[in-house]
Amino acid sequence: MWESEVEGKRLTFHLAGINNQNFIMRDEETGTWWQQVSGEAMHGPLKGKKLTRVDNDELTFALWKRENRQGRVLKPDERVKQNYEAADWEAQYAKFRVVTPVDRNDKLSPRTLIAGLVVNGRALAYPLPALEKQRLILGAVGSGGGVTPIFIVLGDDNKSVRAFERAVDGRTLEFYVKPGTSPIQLTDAETATTWDFNGKAVSGPLAGKQLKKIFALKDYWFDWKIYHPDTTVYTLGESPPQSKP
Amino acid sequence: MKTTPSETSNSGKSGRWKLWLSLLLVVAAAVAMVAIPVFVIMPFKAQTVAGVEWSYRLRRLSPLATVVATILFLALCVMLWRGGRWPGRLAMVALLAPLLAVTWFARQNHFEWMFNPLPNADYARAGEAGFVADSDMVMAIEINGDAVAFPVREMAYHHVVNDVVGGKPITATY
Repeated sequence: MWESEVEGKRLTFHLAGINNQNFIMRDEETGTWWQQVSGEAMHGPLKGKKLTRVDNDELTFALWKRENRQGRVLKPDERVKQNYEAADWEAQYAKFRVVTPVDRNDKLSPRTLIAGLVVNGRALAYPLPALEKQRLILGAVGSGGGVTPIFIVLGDDNKSVRAFERAVDGRTLEFYVKPGTSPIQLTDAETATTWDFNGKAVSGPLAGKQLKKIFALKDYWFDWKIYHPDTTVYTLGESPPQSKP
Repeated sequence: MKTTPSETSNSGKSGRWKLWLSLLLVVAAAVAMVAIPVFVIMPFKAQTVAGVEWSYRLRRLSPLATVVATILFLALCVMLWRGGRWPGRLAMVALLAPLLAVTWFARQNHFEWMFNPLPNADYARAGEAGFVADSDMVMAIEINGDAVAFPVREMAYHHVVNDVVGGKPITATY
């Protein structure tokens, strides 16, 4: 999701090609070619420019609706809706082959779904299967005085992912999922405040506080890796990802 | 055309042979220019940095270049028509067909034939969106209190939606 304006000029984007299974878009106004996943101008008059990302959530419709009763939803295009992906499209896509080189020593298979974060310029990947087992994973990015404590959490629909910074007013909190809650609620060990899946403190000592969201991109591992080759991958059972010195 | 009938006859057989070669090269160059990017940036294939760059250049040049090629082709045809025989003239007409086809194709975006764009995006209220299942994924944004969900099953087809959310022009991509 991107801001359409570059240097004050509104651009209109079109699908224009494919580059190693990530699409290329072309803007009508200048004819520049852009890479969809990175928002970078690859060729053309605006080469080297970057689109400004609009952070978006990837949620199940049920969860989004619960949080946004007054929201609006993109309607299907009646002329082409028979061509839309089937409900099981994720399972179908998982079978598509990967055309980019596969690293034999890679712990993850190319089509593993990951939630990718970039914190302080460091890329982190959390495989969805690990999140399904652990639901909430605490982490800290950086070293010395520049550590950003974070966590990532999977919704009770097993599909919606959100990530947050977990320092509130300079204090680092340790978060847990409240057992048996649906929609899931979180709590922290330090204050026992109750937090919702949107990072808002709903009751307890910190009620009213909002955790800072971190943009999480659900992507296939092979695609994420092309654009973030230095990613730290979270492995089940390991201590939370610590970035390299 | 500058070429007069006498010049054509003076140049003789070798002159006509050169004109025919030019004619074929013009058609081959135009067809290659349009066809190469189609094959290089095809789905389910690996692309190289250079391949994508050349595809960009060819796509960028081909709308104008194919018109220039067509004009050149017609000029060569005029020279060859006079004093030509019917098999040769038929060949010219036959060669014009692929040239016109690529001149037209250079102006098309075939990716948008496969995946129609959505220039006039329309929305339903969250409570009235019966077309999305509860378990379907949506890409959700909120700008200035305007919360919008883009169902992934729709986005995985259109790939790009240009619109305004909360007063801000945005481009949703999937």
